[in-house]
Amino acid sequence: MVRDLAAGIVGLARRGHAWLNTPLPPPPATLRRGPLRRGAFESRLRSPRLTSLLGSALAVAFTVCFVTGLISHFIQHPPSWFVWPSRPVNLYRVTQGVHVATGLASVPLLGAKLWSVYPRLFGWPPVRNLAHMIERASIAALVAAALFQLISGILNIARWYAPMPFFFTAGHYWSAWLAIGALLTHIGVKLPIIRTALTRPTPDRVIDGGLTRRGLLGAAGAAAGIITLATAGQTIAPLAPVSVLAPRRPRSGPQNVPVNKTAGDAGVRNALFDPAYRLTVAGPARTVRLALTDLAALPQHTVALPISCVEGWSSIGTWTGVRLRDLVVLAGADPDDAEAYVESLEARGRYRATTVPPTHVRDPYTLIAMRLGGEPLHPDHGYPARLIAPNRPGVLQTKWVSRITARSAP
Amino acid sequence: MKTVRRALIGAGVLSMTYAAIGALADPDVKGGALLFLIGVLIAHDAILLPLVVGVGALIGRFVPLRRRALVRAALLITLAVTIVAVPLVLGAGRAADNPSLLPLNYGRGLLGIYGAIWVSAALAAAARAWKERPARTPSAP
Repeated sequence: MVRDLAAGIVGLARRGHAWLNTPLPPPPATLRRGPLRRGAFESRLRSPRLTSLLGSALAVAFTVCFVTGLISHFIQHPPSWFVWPSRPVNLYRVTQGVHVATGLASVPLLGAKLWSVYPRLFGWPPVRNLAHMIERASIAALVAAALFQLISGILNIARWYAPMPFFFTAGHYWSAWLAIGALLTHIGVKLPIIRTALTRPTPDRVIDGGLTRRGLLGAAGAAAGIITLATAGQTIAPLAPVSVLAPRRPRSGPQNVPVNKTAGDAGVRNALFDPAYRLTVAGPARTVRLALTDLAALPQHTVALPISCVEGWSSIGTWTGVRLRDLVVLAGADPDDAEAYVESLEARGRYRATTVPPTHVRDPYTLIAMRLGGEPLHPDHGYPARLIAPNRPGVLQTKWVSRITARSAP
Repeated sequence: MKTVRRALIGAGVLSMTYAAIGALADPDVKGGALLFLIGVLIAHDAILLPLVVGVGALIGRFVPLRRRALVRAALLITLAVTIVAVPLVLGAGRAADNPSLLPLNYGRGLLGIYGAIWVSAALAAAARAWKERPARTPSAP
C-alpha cells in the first residue's frame, strides 16, 4: 500500500517533470526584430565571468543588507525568542549604518550586473518550455525585488514617500524576503555556470578601445566608493565634510542633534508646556505621578549615547535624567526582571509607545532624560522628558513621555 | 553539487512564498507594493537600460577610440551617483519646521562630484596621452 503510494508519487513527479519540459511551439520568426535579433547587442565585454564576479559581490552585499535589516526588524517587532542586548551601546548604530551604506554601494554593482545580462532578456525563443518560463519568472522577481529594495531605500533616506504607494517599512521588509529567496533560487539554478566562470580563466576580450572587464569592475567599484564617501558622513562624523550627499549631518539640528519628528508633527506642542504635566509611573505595587520638580529631585545621571536612526544616520548626545530602573523601583517592580511600556503625549502614531525589554530596563544607561548637552530638552527632542537607551533604534527612543507602565517580564 | 543546488532552490522558493503570503496578509502593504515592484522593473528594463545602451552606442560612434573606455567608465560612475542623488537634489522630503532634514545644498554637492569624476577622467586621459606620446624620431642622416 505504502509502496503503491510511493510509486504513484514518483510517477506523478516524473510526469510533472516531463510536462514542464515539453517544448512549446516556437513563435513565428517574423517577430524576431529589434533587440530580439541575433547579435543585436554589440559589446564584447559581457561574459559569464563578468556577470559571476558582479553577482558574487552583490550576493555578499544583499546578504549583509538582509541580515542587518532583519536585526533591525526584530528589534522593532521582537519574536518571543529574540533577545537584543543593551551593550555594546553602538552595536545598532553600526549594523544599521552598514545596512544603509551597503545598500547604497550596491547601486552601481546592480546596474552593471543587470547591464551584463540585458541581452538575455531578449533571448530567442522567449520561452522554450514551462520550466524555462518559471525560471524566467523567478529572474523577473529577483530583478524587480532587487530594484525595489535599492530604490525604496534611496527614497526613504531622502524621506520622499510620495512615489511609494505603500508603508515603506512593510514593503521593504516583505520585498527583502522576495529578493533573498529569488537570489538563493537564482544561485541554485546558475551554480554550474558560476563555478565554471569563476574557476576557468576567461580572456578579457574587448574590441580595441572598449572598456575592459577590469576597467568596468574598477569603475563600478569606484562608483561604490564615491557613493559611500558622499553619504557615510551621516553617521561617521569625521567624513561629514566630504559627504556632500549625506541626508543628515550628525551635528545639525537643535542642541546639535538631528530630529526626525518635530513636536509640531507630533501635535504635542501645547501639551508639553502644560503646567499640569505629570509623568505617571504605574507598577504592580503603586502608581505615582511625578511633576517636573519631583523628577529633578530624584538622583540624576548623565550618559553619552547615540541616537541611531533606522535611516542610517546617528548622532551622539550627552543626556541627563533619571534611570528608568529607579522609576521602575518606585512603582514597586523588580528592576532586574521587568519590562516597561513607555507612552508619549502623542495621541496617535505608529511610534507613540514602545516596550522597553528587561535587558534595557536593567541597564543603568537607560534614562528618562530631561536634559541634552546640559540644557533642558528642546521641544523637538522630547521636552519635558524622553526615553534614551543604549543600542536601540531612534524610532524606539520615545519622546514627550507621559506614562510608564512597569510589569514583570513575561 | 546537486544537493547544494536543490537546497538553494528549495530555500529560495520557501522564502519567496513567505514573502508573497506575508505581503498579502499585511494591511500596510496593499496593492501599492506590487505596483511599485512592477513599476521599477519596467522603468529599469524598458527605459533606463535602453538609454544606457543607446548612449554606449553613441560613444562608440563619436568618441575617439583612445578615449572611449575612459568616457564609458566616467559615465557609469556619473550615472550611479546621480541615481542616489536625485531624490536629495529634488528635496521633496524637506520640512519647514525641521532644518535638520536634508540640511545640505545637494545640487551643488552633486555638481562637485561630477567635477571630480570628469577632472579625474581628463587627467587620466592626459596621463595616458603623455605615456603613449610618439618617441622622437631621430633625424635621418
